Amino acid sequence: MKGFRTHLVVAALVCAASLTVHAQDFRLFNRSVQVHGSLSQGFAYSNDNNFLTMKTSDSSPAFTDGALNLSTAVTDKFHVGAQAYDRKVGQLDDFRPQLDFAYGDYRFARWFGVRAGRVKTALGLYNDTQDADFLYTWALLPQGTYPLDLRNSMIAHDGGDLYGQIPLKKAGKLNYTGYYGKRTFDDRSGYYIFSSDLGMPIDSASGRALGWDLRWTAPLKGLTLGSSWIDMTQNRVGHYNEAYFPPDTQYRAHSAPDRTAVGYADFQRNKWDFSGEYRAENYWLSILTPSFGNSVFLWNGTNESWFTTASYHATKRVTLGVYHSNYHVDSPADPTNKATNHIYDEVAAARVDLNRYWVVKAEGHFMDGYGDLYSTHGFYERSNPDGFKPRTNMLMLRTSFFF
Amino acid sequence: MKNAQFFLMAAAALLIAPLTLRAADMKVIANPSVSAAAVSADDLKDVFLENKDSLAGSHVDPVLEKGGPAHEAFLKVLGKSDAALQTYYRSLVFSGKGSMPKELASDAEVAAWVAKTKGAVGYVSADASAPGTKVLDVK
Repeated sequence: MKGFRTHLVVAALVCAASLTVHAQDFRLFNRSVQVHGSLSQGFAYSNDNNFLTMKTSDSSPAFTDGALNLSTAVTDKFHVGAQAYDRKVGQLDDFRPQLDFAYGDYRFARWFGVRAGRVKTALGLYNDTQDADFLYTWALLPQGTYPLDLRNSMIAHDGGDLYGQIPLKKAGKLNYTGYYGKRTFDDRSGYYIFSSDLGMPIDSASGRALGWDLRWTAPLKGLTLGSSWIDMTQNRVGHYNEAYFPPDTQYRAHSAPDRTAVGYADFQRNKWDFSGEYRAENYWLSILTPSFGNSVFLWNGTNESWFTTASYHATKRVTLGVYHSNYHVDSPADPTNKATNHIYDEVAAARVDLNRYWVVKAEGHFMDGYGDLYSTHGFYERSNPDGFKPRTNMLMLRTSFFF
Repeated sequence: MKNAQFFLMAAAALLIAPLTLRAADMKVIANPSVSAAAVSADDLKDVFLENKDSLAGSHVDPVLEKGGPAHEAFLKVLGKSDAALQTYYRSLVFSGKGSMPKELASDAEVAAWVAKTKGAVGYVSADASAPGTKVLDVK
């Protein structure tokens, strides 16, 4: 009941803030500092399976997130900024604030700049803005490609970007980003939860990310085409929590290479927006249990995800949309169970902009399959202790305020 | 034949009308520190979409109007609706890859800001008074 009250208070704050708080700036050392933020409250109700560690089958308001950011131009070429982010989605994160990004950005020229610090990772259409729901028609982005439970390990890297834009005259413009850095992990994210559900809790995790993104603004008005690639590593140390292992038996898991190739397109014309993205991941995972000697369990996994969306701005305030999201696991742990090798999600959504700073969304999800034991895409044993049903229908409501 | 000429001229006028309306509805103004006297529509678009931060060697900072006829005319130059433009800026802000240009409520506020701020570039209604600023010719 206490939790419900908290989420109700957040919803009330969203309403109140949208009427009273707008973008702010203040002067510091004779520089203008911009302040922006967002606050969002969601509500989910599903017919059978519980989704994203929420008790959605009982109807759940445990879906709150918010961000606050500051940025300023130190000189004409040098900018700095930082953003704090906080959320509670079921058992994910539990209102523990995170440093979302904190960067220094020096732009030498239009075609070349350097950004360093904690930097959001450019991958596909939406990776670096995936938690800013107010940018989209959807309350939930396609979860096969942008799983909310894996956000913390994909959203940013501690390192640097090289970036720029190259004008191609009549052929449009090409934006590029290349990056390298340490990955960020959080012990209340999906990785930790699914690993714990498997009887292999994680004690520590680290890894690095190396990748690039190329985005071409084509001469055809409204068309953007792009491609990304990322090579990640992950080192996990944990212990077995199963009766058939001696207590505190340690394991070490190493994932490398873990490579994802991405292609995407976005087309906006008049009142219509269309987008699509395809990803293919190929990874090798090795698990070593030192107390059992040097034998290594080796696994090669591949999976694909893609989505297509269409949305229509029916009026100045109302946008309607549909999308199809597809997630496919090539070699599920249980190949006999056809519901484990995929999650398909058909979505119909409506977004209403109540004013310039406040939106309300409603959407229906019609999901088929629940993915593999190892897939970490929304369905968890701990929130579905009686097992999974093959289909899940879910209503999602979300209201967001931003400035 | 006369009829055909009339329809051709009418069609040409209809095609040209939106372009002239855009130019007639607003003018682009800059702080006198900006050395450029003219700007191409592409460069203007790049400045306001934060792809470009200089014109003719001078650093520039764009400033927007929150609404009104000048803003509506300028959106046509950018090729975006107001909602799409806001979404564009917000994606920069919340991904840590850019900032929101200053937004002011009226022609008078934009003109005053541009006049006093080094490198500022904005737009106001074509008939608005903008003392202390220079008008950039949009090519």
